Amino acid sequence: MAETVHVLVAEDEPLAAMAIEDFLSRKGYRVTLAVDGLDAMERLQADPADLVITDLRMPRMDGHALIRELRRRDPGLPLVVMTGFLSLDGNADDITGDAWKPLEVLRKPVSPQMILDTLERLLARHAL
Amino acid sequence: MLAGVASWFDSSAYMPHGVCLLWRPDLLALHVGADALTGLAYYSIPVALVYFVWRRRDVAFSWVFWLFAAFILACGTTHFFGIWTLWNPDYALEGVVKAVTAAVSVLTAAALWLLMPRALALPSPRQLAITNAALQREIAERRAAEERYTGFFNNLAEGLFVVTVRPDGRFALDTLNPVHARATGLDPARICGRLVEDVLPPATATAVVERYTACVAAGGPIDYEEVLDLPVGRRVWHTVLVPVRDVSGRVVQLLGSARDITERKRLQEELEQASKLATLGTLAAGMAHEMSQPLNIIRIWAENALSRLREGTLDAARTEKVLTLAAEQTERMGRIIDHMRTFARRDRGGAEPFDPAPCVRSAVDLVRNQYALEGIAVSTGPDGGEPGGPVLVLGRPLQLEQVVLNLLSNAYDAIREQGRGGRIAVEVDADAAADHVRITVSDTGGGIPESNLPRIFDPFFTTKEVGKGTGLGLSIGFGIVDAMGGRIEAQNLEHGDGQRGVRFTITLPVVRPAGSKAEVAHG
Repeated sequence: MAETVHVLVAEDEPLAAMAIEDFLSRKGYRVTLAVDGLDAMERLQADPADLVITDLRMPRMDGHALIRELRRRDPGLPLVVMTGFLSLDGNADDITGDAWKPLEVLRKPVSPQMILDTLERLLARHAL
Repeated sequence: MLAGVASWFDSSAYMPHGVCLLWRPDLLALHVGADALTGLAYYSIPVALVYFVWRRRDVAFSWVFWLFAAFILACGTTHFFGIWTLWNPDYALEGVVKAVTAAVSVLTAAALWLLMPRALALPSPRQLAITNAALQREIAERRAAEERYTGFFNNLAEGLFVVTVRPDGRFALDTLNPVHARATGLDPARICGRLVEDVLPPATATAVVERYTACVAAGGPIDYEEVLDLPVGRRVWHTVLVPVRDVSGRVVQLLGSARDITERKRLQEELEQASKLATLGTLAAGMAHEMSQPLNIIRIWAENALSRLREGTLDAARTEKVLTLAAEQTERMGRIIDHMRTFARRDRGGAEPFDPAPCVRSAVDLVRNQYALEGIAVSTGPDGGEPGGPVLVLGRPLQLEQVVLNLLSNAYDAIREQGRGGRIAVEVDADAAADHVRITVSDTGGGIPESNLPRIFDPFFTTKEVGKGTGLGLSIGFGIVDAMGGRIEAQNLEHGDGQRGVRFTITLPVVRPAGSKAEVAHG
């Protein structure tokens, strides 16, 4: 890898965020943590990321709002969604359609390896 | 005197009557002929009368015929005596016969006049014919009516049956219509007139006799649902019994109509089951989300530690941190499971006196943080404590918590639907002096259309999208509050800042445990 890949993780549960950061850092990624959507937007403004991992339910600005905002700015930015909800479809916040791609959904509980695999798959496709 | 009367019978003193006729053969012949014919004719009439009375035993006033016979017989005898005295001067004997004849004649004449009104009242054959024709018509009409009602009885789709209430108070099955015979599997020919307990299985007989007795005691129609084991199997019936009284007012008969509602009951149960499953689905989804948070943390930390272990970068301090964290998160999961358990147990145990305030607080605590993340603030009003100590209501605390949770969840959905943040205010107004406690949940969710307000407590009424609400939450809440002797009401309200919303008010009666009065007095 010529350049270190920058990943932003938006997750309001600091315990989960910390472990993801530790894991991805050890795998050679540069990780930035954000506690909610607004925090993520501010950090991305200052330091754009190659990929964003986000939770859905967060204070102030939730995952759905964050995804909409990011898509509006960059239709090609790879996104990974982590959620504890059983169902994501059937409402106004549907993010399962093709319009939202490149986007992958991971169901909680997630494993760090799973995040890594998804991340690499999305980045490989993005690089093509 | 007696000697005088005896001298009447001394015929030697008189001359035969023929002397008066100068023994003229032509005159004698005329008398003898006329008297003989008259006498014979008179004698034949009683025979005819007696023969008539003897053949027509049903004839009215037959004794009058006997009297007539005696009178005519006597008359005939006087004529024969008229012939006898032409040659033999037994005038005394003839006088006696005439006297007897006179007596019988007077008697007959008097009897006839006395009898006249009753004889006149006897219907004539013409009158009888008219009466007969009228009777025939009435019979025909009654037959037609009978056929019509038999038609109803035999062809109505409703199961009909008739029960005889015997003077000893026991019940006999009289009849049942073909529909009911088919529905029950009972044969009308075999049950007719037999006691209920001789025809039906013992448990079924006991059950129906109890109902029949209740109907007689009520003295009016009764209406109920029952499950009966019958020759066709176990069926559920909706039955109506109507008592029939005789002129003295005693209930002599019960008319029953019964409809087999087994299928309807089954569908109803299926529907209830489906709604239970829907509630379970909502519950399962919520639980899955709650559990996914700690599980997520444990999995990420555990696998991250495993990865470090393989790399050789897992030190003791990090291991301790990971294990502590896993223990803490499993404890958090345990608490979630405990709450689910108390929810699952909510139907067990009876009502108890409890303070509703902590119960409401606990419901609010359950959602406050979650709602705050969505920009919905839940306030519990000024907590100034409760003057005079806690106010108690009677019921099950977890059920009340469930009702409040449902109201909070409805408020949450309504606010979310508006696409912006909002407020939910929960207040417990427990005035020790009053005999009731009021719990209010107000929101800024836009309110409920006035036309929907009367229906919101109806089962299955929902304004949410298909699949979003069961339409049972408020109706279950209504049932719980009603069982506590309280009531729940909804009204639209206009907040000061122009926002609209709904206020649900739960009013519960206050119970005072023994001794609490003294506590209030000293407090």
